[in-house]
Amino acid sequence: MLFSIFVLLVTNPSAVLSEMIGASTDALKLCIELCAIYAVWLGIMQLVEASGLAEKLAKLLRPLIKKIFRVEDKETQKIIAMNVSANMLGLGNAATPMGIRAMQALDDKSGKANFAMITLIVINATSIQLLPTTVIGLRQACGSTNPADIIFPTLLVTFFTTALGIFLVHTIDRIINKKRRKS
Amino acid sequence: MSIYILPILFLLLIIYCCFKRINTYDHFVKGAKGAITLVVDIFPFIASILIAVALLRVSGITTFLGKALSPLFNVLGIPTELCELVLLRPFTGSGSYGILENIFTTYGADSYISRCACVIMGCSETIFYVATVYISQTKVKKLLYAIPVALACSLVGTILACLVCKII
Repeated sequence: MLFSIFVLLVTNPSAVLSEMIGASTDALKLCIELCAIYAVWLGIMQLVEASGLAEKLAKLLRPLIKKIFRVEDKETQKIIAMNVSANMLGLGNAATPMGIRAMQALDDKSGKANFAMITLIVINATSIQLLPTTVIGLRQACGSTNPADIIFPTLLVTFFTTALGIFLVHTIDRIINKKRRKS
Repeated sequence: MSIYILPILFLLLIIYCCFKRINTYDHFVKGAKGAITLVVDIFPFIASILIAVALLRVSGITTFLGKALSPLFNVLGIPTELCELVLLRPFTGSGSYGILENIFTTYGADSYISRCACVIMGCSETIFYVATVYISQTKVKKLLYAIPVALACSLVGTILACLVCKII
Protein backbone atom coordinates (compact mmCIF):
# COMPACT_ATOMS: atom_id res chain seq x y z
CA MET A 1 0.00 0.00 0.00
CA LEU A 2 2.81 2.37 0.96
CA PHE A 3 4.70 1.46 -2.19
CA SER A 4 1.69 2.00 -4.47
CA ILE A 5 1.04 5.44 -2.97
CA PHE A 6 4.69 6.26 -3.59
CA VAL A 7 4.43 5.21 -7.25
CA LEU A 8 1.20 7.17 -7.69
CA LEU A 9 2.83 10.24 -6.22
CA VAL A 10 5.09 10.26 -9.25
CA THR A 11 2.65 9.16 -11.94
CA ASN A 12 -0.77 10.43 -10.95
CA PRO A 13 -0.99 12.22 -7.57
CA SER A 14 -4.59 13.37 -8.00
CA ALA A 15 -5.77 9.77 -8.20
CA VAL A 16 -4.68 8.75 -4.69
CA LEU A 17 -7.54 10.12 -2.62
CA SER A 18 -10.23 9.61 -5.23
CA GLU A 19 -9.17 5.99 -5.70
CA MET A 20 -9.17 5.36 -1.95
CA ILE A 21 -12.63 6.83 -1.51
CA GLY A 22 -13.84 5.00 -4.60
CA ALA A 23 -12.61 1.70 -3.18
CA SER A 24 -14.18 2.46 0.17
CA THR A 25 -17.49 3.19 -1.58
CA ASP A 26 -17.17 -0.15 -3.34
CA ALA A 27 -16.59 -1.77 0.04
CA LEU A 28 -19.76 -0.18 1.42
CA LYS A 29 -21.76 -1.31 -1.62
CA LEU A 30 -20.32 -4.78 -1.26
CA CYS A 31 -21.24 -4.82 2.42
CA ILE A 32 -24.82 -3.84 1.71
CA GLU A 33 -25.02 -6.61 -0.88
CA LEU A 34 -23.36 -9.01 1.53
CA CYS A 35 -25.80 -8.00 4.26
CA ALA A 36 -28.71 -8.99 2.03
CA ILE A 37 -27.02 -12.25 1.04
CA TYR A 38 -26.04 -13.08 4.62
CA ALA A 39 -29.57 -12.37 5.86
CA VAL A 40 -30.91 -15.05 3.53
CA TRP A 41 -28.14 -17.53 4.24
CA LEU A 42 -27.98 -16.99 7.98
CA GLY A 43 -31.74 -17.43 8.10
CA ILE A 44 -31.47 -20.70 6.23
CA MET A 45 -28.47 -21.80 8.30
CA GLN A 46 -30.48 -21.13 11.44
CA LEU A 47 -33.15 -23.48 10.10
CA VAL A 48 -30.51 -26.07 9.28
CA GLU A 49 -29.19 -25.81 12.81
CA ALA A 50 -32.56 -25.76 14.57
CA SER A 51 -33.91 -28.71 12.62
CA GLY A 52 -31.00 -30.84 13.72
CA LEU A 53 -29.70 -31.27 10.18
CA ALA A 54 -26.44 -29.55 11.09
CA GLU A 55 -25.98 -32.11 13.83
CA LYS A 56 -26.46 -34.94 11.34
CA LEU A 57 -24.11 -33.35 8.83
CA ALA A 58 -21.49 -32.89 11.53
CA LYS A 59 -21.87 -36.50 12.61
CA LEU A 60 -21.29 -37.57 9.02
CA LEU A 61 -18.19 -35.43 8.64
CA ARG A 62 -16.96 -35.82 12.22
CA PRO A 63 -14.31 -38.50 11.61
CA LEU A 64 -12.89 -36.43 8.76
CA ILE A 65 -12.96 -33.14 10.68
CA LYS A 66 -11.37 -34.78 13.71
CA LYS A 67 -8.51 -36.05 11.58
CA ILE A 68 -7.97 -32.92 9.49
CA PHE A 69 -8.61 -30.18 12.07
CA ARG A 70 -7.86 -32.09 15.28
CA VAL A 71 -10.85 -30.44 16.94
CA GLU A 72 -12.61 -32.26 19.75
CA ASP A 73 -15.31 -29.75 20.68
CA LYS A 74 -18.64 -30.89 19.20
CA GLU A 75 -20.12 -27.42 18.73
CA THR A 76 -17.04 -26.26 16.79
CA GLN A 77 -17.08 -29.42 14.68
CA LYS A 78 -20.66 -28.60 13.72
CA ILE A 79 -19.79 -25.09 12.54
CA ILE A 80 -16.77 -26.32 10.59
CA ALA A 81 -18.96 -28.99 8.96
CA MET A 82 -21.39 -26.31 7.79
CA ASN A 83 -18.57 -24.10 6.51
CA VAL A 84 -16.97 -26.92 4.55
CA SER A 85 -20.24 -28.15 3.05
CA ALA A 86 -21.28 -24.63 1.99
CA ASN A 87 -17.90 -24.33 0.30
CA MET A 88 -18.36 -27.62 -1.51
CA LEU A 89 -21.66 -26.44 -2.95
CA GLY A 90 -19.90 -23.37 -4.32
CA LEU A 91 -21.75 -21.07 -1.92
CA GLY A 92 -18.81 -18.94 -0.85
CA ASN A 93 -21.13 -16.28 0.55
CA ALA A 94 -22.91 -18.76 2.77
CA ALA A 95 -19.61 -20.20 3.95
CA THR A 96 -18.18 -16.88 5.15
CA PRO A 97 -20.44 -16.26 8.19
CA MET A 98 -19.87 -19.87 9.27
CA GLY A 99 -16.13 -19.45 8.79
CA ILE A 100 -16.10 -16.36 10.99
CA ARG A 101 -18.04 -18.20 13.69
CA ALA A 102 -15.73 -21.19 13.47
CA MET A 103 -12.70 -18.92 13.84
CA GLN A 104 -14.23 -17.30 16.92
CA ALA A 105 -14.85 -20.72 18.41
CA LEU A 106 -11.29 -21.83 17.66
CA ASP A 107 -9.66 -18.64 18.94
CA ASP A 108 -7.50 -19.30 22.00
CA LYS A 109 -6.84 -15.58 22.61
CA SER A 110 -3.08 -16.07 22.31
CA GLY A 111 -2.84 -13.73 19.31
CA LYS A 112 -1.41 -16.51 17.17
CA ALA A 113 -3.30 -18.71 14.77
CA ASN A 114 -3.46 -22.30 15.98
CA PHE A 115 -3.32 -25.44 13.89
CA ALA A 116 -7.06 -25.77 13.27
CA MET A 117 -7.39 -22.11 12.27
CA ILE A 118 -4.57 -22.38 9.75
CA THR A 119 -6.11 -25.53 8.32
CA LEU A 120 -9.48 -23.80 7.98
CA ILE A 121 -7.93 -20.86 6.12
CA VAL A 122 -5.97 -23.13 3.77
CA ILE A 123 -9.02 -25.29 3.03
CA ASN A 124 -11.13 -22.23 2.35
CA ALA A 125 -8.37 -20.79 0.17
CA THR A 126 -8.15 -23.86 -2.02
CA SER A 127 -11.96 -24.00 -2.03
CA ILE A 128 -13.16 -27.53 -2.60
CA GLN A 129 -15.88 -26.70 -5.10
CA LEU A 130 -18.27 -29.20 -6.60
CA LEU A 131 -20.24 -26.71 -8.67
CA PRO A 132 -18.48 -23.55 -9.92
CA THR A 133 -21.85 -21.91 -10.56
CA THR A 134 -20.73 -18.31 -11.08
CA VAL A 135 -18.01 -19.19 -13.58
CA ILE A 136 -20.37 -21.39 -15.60
CA GLY A 137 -23.01 -18.66 -15.65
CA LEU A 138 -20.51 -16.07 -16.81
CA ARG A 139 -19.17 -18.39 -19.51
CA GLN A 140 -22.67 -19.06 -20.78
CA ALA A 141 -23.36 -15.34 -20.94
CA CYS A 142 -20.26 -14.89 -23.11
CA GLY A 143 -21.51 -17.38 -25.70
CA SER A 144 -19.79 -20.65 -24.83
CA THR A 145 -21.18 -23.70 -26.63
CA ASN A 146 -20.59 -26.01 -23.70
CA PRO A 147 -20.15 -23.91 -20.55
CA ALA A 148 -20.23 -26.90 -18.20
CA ASP A 149 -17.25 -28.72 -19.72
CA ILE A 150 -14.93 -27.08 -17.21
CA ILE A 151 -16.57 -28.89 -14.27
CA PHE A 152 -14.47 -32.02 -14.55
CA PRO A 153 -11.04 -30.30 -14.87
CA THR A 154 -11.99 -27.95 -12.03
CA LEU A 155 -12.96 -30.88 -9.82
CA LEU A 156 -9.73 -32.67 -10.59
CA VAL A 157 -7.52 -29.67 -9.83
CA THR A 158 -9.46 -28.44 -6.80
CA PHE A 159 -9.40 -31.90 -5.25
CA PHE A 160 -5.67 -32.11 -5.71
CA THR A 161 -4.89 -28.64 -4.33
CA THR A 162 -7.07 -29.20 -1.27
CA ALA A 163 -5.34 -32.50 -0.57
CA LEU A 164 -1.98 -30.80 -1.07
CA GLY A 165 -2.98 -28.00 1.31
CA ILE A 166 -4.02 -30.39 4.06
CA PHE A 167 -0.84 -32.42 3.54
CA LEU A 168 1.40 -29.31 3.71
CA VAL A 169 -0.25 -27.97 6.87
CA HIS A 170 0.13 -31.31 8.61
CA THR A 171 3.73 -31.71 7.51
CA ILE A 172 4.74 -28.22 8.62
CA ASP A 173 3.00 -28.75 11.95
CA ARG A 174 4.91 -31.99 12.45
CA ILE A 175 8.24 -30.30 11.68
CA ILE A 176 7.51 -27.44 14.10
CA ASN A 177 6.56 -29.89 16.84
CA LYS A 178 9.76 -31.86 16.30
CA LYS A 179 11.88 -28.74 16.59
CA ARG A 180 10.08 -27.70 19.74
CA ARG A 181 10.69 -31.04 21.35
CA LYS A 182 14.40 -30.86 20.55
CA SER A 183 14.98 -27.40 21.97
CA MET B 1 -30.03 -28.77 -14.28
CA SER B 2 -28.03 -26.94 -11.64
CA ILE B 3 -30.63 -24.15 -11.40
CA TYR B 4 -33.05 -26.61 -9.76
CA ILE B 5 -30.69 -27.78 -7.04
CA LEU B 6 -30.94 -24.84 -4.63
CA PRO B 7 -34.73 -24.26 -4.82
CA ILE B 8 -35.32 -27.97 -4.27
CA LEU B 9 -32.91 -28.04 -1.33
CA PHE B 10 -34.70 -25.04 0.24
CA LEU B 11 -38.08 -26.68 -0.27
CA LEU B 12 -36.90 -29.92 1.31
CA LEU B 13 -35.41 -28.01 4.24
CA ILE B 14 -38.66 -26.17 4.98
CA ILE B 15 -40.70 -29.36 4.66
CA TYR B 16 -38.26 -31.08 6.99
CA CYS B 17 -38.61 -28.23 9.51
CA CYS B 18 -42.40 -28.47 9.41
CA PHE B 19 -42.13 -32.20 9.87
CA LYS B 20 -39.91 -31.62 12.92
CA ARG B 21 -42.44 -29.07 14.25
CA ILE B 22 -40.03 -26.18 14.32
CA ASN B 23 -41.23 -22.61 14.13
CA THR B 24 -39.71 -21.89 10.71
CA TYR B 25 -40.48 -18.18 10.58
CA ASP B 26 -39.11 -17.33 14.05
CA HIS B 27 -35.88 -19.20 13.43
CA PHE B 28 -35.35 -17.61 10.02
CA VAL B 29 -35.84 -14.15 11.50
CA LYS B 30 -33.43 -14.92 14.31
CA GLY B 31 -30.76 -16.00 11.86
CA ALA B 32 -31.30 -13.12 9.44
CA LYS B 33 -30.95 -10.62 12.28
CA GLY B 34 -27.33 -11.67 12.70
CA ALA B 35 -26.50 -10.43 9.20
CA ILE B 36 -26.58 -6.74 10.16
CA THR B 37 -24.16 -7.00 13.09
CA LEU B 38 -21.88 -9.30 11.13
CA VAL B 39 -21.61 -6.89 8.21
CA VAL B 40 -21.04 -3.91 10.50
CA ASP B 41 -18.25 -5.85 12.18
CA ILE B 42 -16.45 -6.82 8.98
CA PHE B 43 -16.93 -3.57 7.01
CA PRO B 44 -13.68 -1.85 8.14
CA PHE B 45 -11.66 -4.91 7.14
CA ILE B 46 -13.29 -5.18 3.72
CA ALA B 47 -12.82 -1.45 3.13
CA SER B 48 -9.12 -1.57 4.03
CA ILE B 49 -8.32 -4.47 1.76
CA LEU B 50 -10.29 -3.03 -1.16
CA ILE B 51 -8.45 0.28 -0.79
CA ALA B 52 -5.10 -1.49 -0.83
CA VAL B 53 -6.05 -3.46 -3.94
CA ALA B 54 -7.37 -0.38 -5.74
CA LEU B 55 -4.11 1.47 -5.10
CA LEU B 56 -2.11 -1.49 -6.37
CA ARG B 57 -4.10 -1.62 -9.58
CA VAL B 58 -4.21 2.09 -10.32
CA SER B 59 -0.51 2.56 -9.66
CA GLY B 60 0.12 0.00 -12.40
CA ILE B 61 2.14 -2.22 -10.11
CA THR B 62 0.09 -5.30 -10.98
CA THR B 63 0.43 -4.78 -14.74
CA PHE B 64 4.14 -4.17 -14.28
CA LEU B 65 4.50 -7.30 -12.14
CA GLY B 66 2.50 -9.25 -14.70
CA LYS B 67 4.92 -8.23 -17.43
CA ALA B 68 7.98 -8.79 -15.28
CA LEU B 69 6.84 -12.22 -14.13
CA SER B 70 5.51 -13.50 -17.44
CA PRO B 71 8.79 -15.25 -18.44
CA LEU B 72 8.72 -17.07 -15.11
CA PHE B 73 5.06 -17.95 -15.61
CA ASN B 74 5.80 -19.19 -19.12
CA VAL B 75 8.43 -21.56 -17.75
CA LEU B 76 5.77 -22.96 -15.41
CA GLY B 77 3.40 -23.41 -18.34
CA ILE B 78 1.12 -20.49 -17.54
CA PRO B 79 0.23 -18.44 -20.64
CA THR B 80 1.16 -14.73 -20.56
CA GLU B 81 -2.48 -13.79 -21.15
CA LEU B 82 -3.41 -15.16 -17.73
CA CYS B 83 -0.77 -13.32 -15.68
CA GLU B 84 -3.03 -10.51 -14.52
CA LEU B 85 -5.73 -12.94 -13.45
CA VAL B 86 -3.26 -15.10 -11.54
CA LEU B 87 -1.78 -12.08 -9.76
CA LEU B 88 -5.06 -10.43 -8.78
CA ARG B 89 -7.05 -13.54 -7.93
CA PRO B 90 -5.75 -13.81 -4.32
CA PHE B 91 -6.82 -10.23 -3.62
CA THR B 92 -10.16 -9.52 -5.21
CA GLY B 93 -13.17 -11.62 -6.11
CA SER B 94 -15.17 -9.10 -8.09
CA GLY B 95 -12.01 -7.79 -9.77
CA SER B 96 -10.98 -11.23 -10.95
CA TYR B 97 -14.48 -11.90 -12.31
CA GLY B 98 -14.08 -8.68 -14.30
CA ILE B 99 -10.78 -9.94 -15.72
CA LEU B 100 -12.36 -13.33 -16.46
CA GLU B 101 -15.13 -11.70 -18.47
CA ASN B 102 -12.52 -9.67 -20.29
CA ILE B 103 -10.64 -12.85 -21.19
CA PHE B 104 -13.88 -14.42 -22.47
CA THR B 105 -14.65 -11.52 -24.78
CA THR B 106 -11.06 -11.15 -26.02
CA TYR B 107 -10.19 -14.80 -26.67
CA GLY B 108 -13.65 -16.38 -26.99
CA ALA B 109 -15.37 -18.33 -24.23
CA ASP B 110 -14.38 -21.74 -25.65
CA SER B 111 -10.68 -21.04 -26.22
CA TYR B 112 -7.88 -22.74 -24.32
CA ILE B 113 -7.05 -19.51 -22.47
CA SER B 114 -10.65 -19.10 -21.31
CA ARG B 115 -10.97 -22.68 -20.15
CA CYS B 116 -7.71 -22.36 -18.20
CA ALA B 117 -9.00 -19.16 -16.62
CA CYS B 118 -12.22 -20.94 -15.57
CA VAL B 119 -10.38 -23.76 -13.86
CA ILE B 120 -8.02 -21.30 -12.16
CA MET B 121 -11.03 -19.41 -10.83
CA GLY B 122 -12.60 -22.64 -9.64
CA CYS B 123 -9.61 -23.97 -7.74
CA SER B 124 -8.47 -20.74 -6.08
CA GLU B 125 -9.94 -18.22 -3.71
CA THR B 126 -9.46 -14.60 -2.76
CA ILE B 127 -6.95 -15.71 -0.16
CA PHE B 128 -6.14 -12.33 1.41
CA TYR B 129 -9.78 -11.36 1.55
CA VAL B 130 -10.83 -14.64 3.14
CA ALA B 131 -7.98 -14.53 5.66
CA THR B 132 -8.72 -10.91 6.63
CA VAL B 133 -12.45 -11.41 7.03
CA TYR B 134 -12.20 -14.76 8.80
CA ILE B 135 -9.82 -13.62 11.50
CA SER B 136 -11.35 -10.13 11.80
CA GLN B 137 -13.49 -11.19 14.76
CA THR B 138 -10.72 -12.97 16.67
CA LYS B 139 -7.68 -11.87 18.62
CA VAL B 140 -5.31 -13.43 16.10
CA LYS B 141 -2.57 -11.15 14.82
CA LYS B 142 -0.15 -13.72 13.45
CA LEU B 143 -1.26 -16.18 10.83
CA LEU B 144 2.09 -18.01 10.83
CA TYR B 145 2.37 -20.21 7.74
CA ALA B 146 -1.28 -20.09 6.63
CA ILE B 147 -0.85 -17.57 3.79
CA PRO B 148 2.34 -19.05 2.25
CA VAL B 149 0.80 -22.52 2.20
CA ALA B 150 -2.44 -21.22 0.69
CA LEU B 151 -0.54 -19.28 -1.98
CA ALA B 152 1.68 -22.26 -2.79
CA CYS B 153 -1.40 -24.45 -3.24
CA SER B 154 -2.99 -21.87 -5.51
CA LEU B 155 0.13 -21.69 -7.64
CA VAL B 156 0.29 -25.46 -7.97
CA GLY B 157 -3.42 -25.39 -8.83
CA THR B 158 -2.81 -22.80 -11.52
CA ILE B 159 0.00 -24.81 -13.11
CA LEU B 160 -2.13 -27.96 -12.95
CA ALA B 161 -5.10 -26.11 -14.44
CA CYS B 162 -3.06 -25.11 -17.49
CA LEU B 163 -1.80 -28.67 -17.84
CA VAL B 164 -5.17 -30.36 -17.41
CA CYS B 165 -6.87 -28.01 -19.89
CA LYS B 166 -4.28 -28.96 -22.53
CA ILE B 167 -5.14 -32.63 -22.16
CA ILE B 168 -8.90 -32.50 -21.67
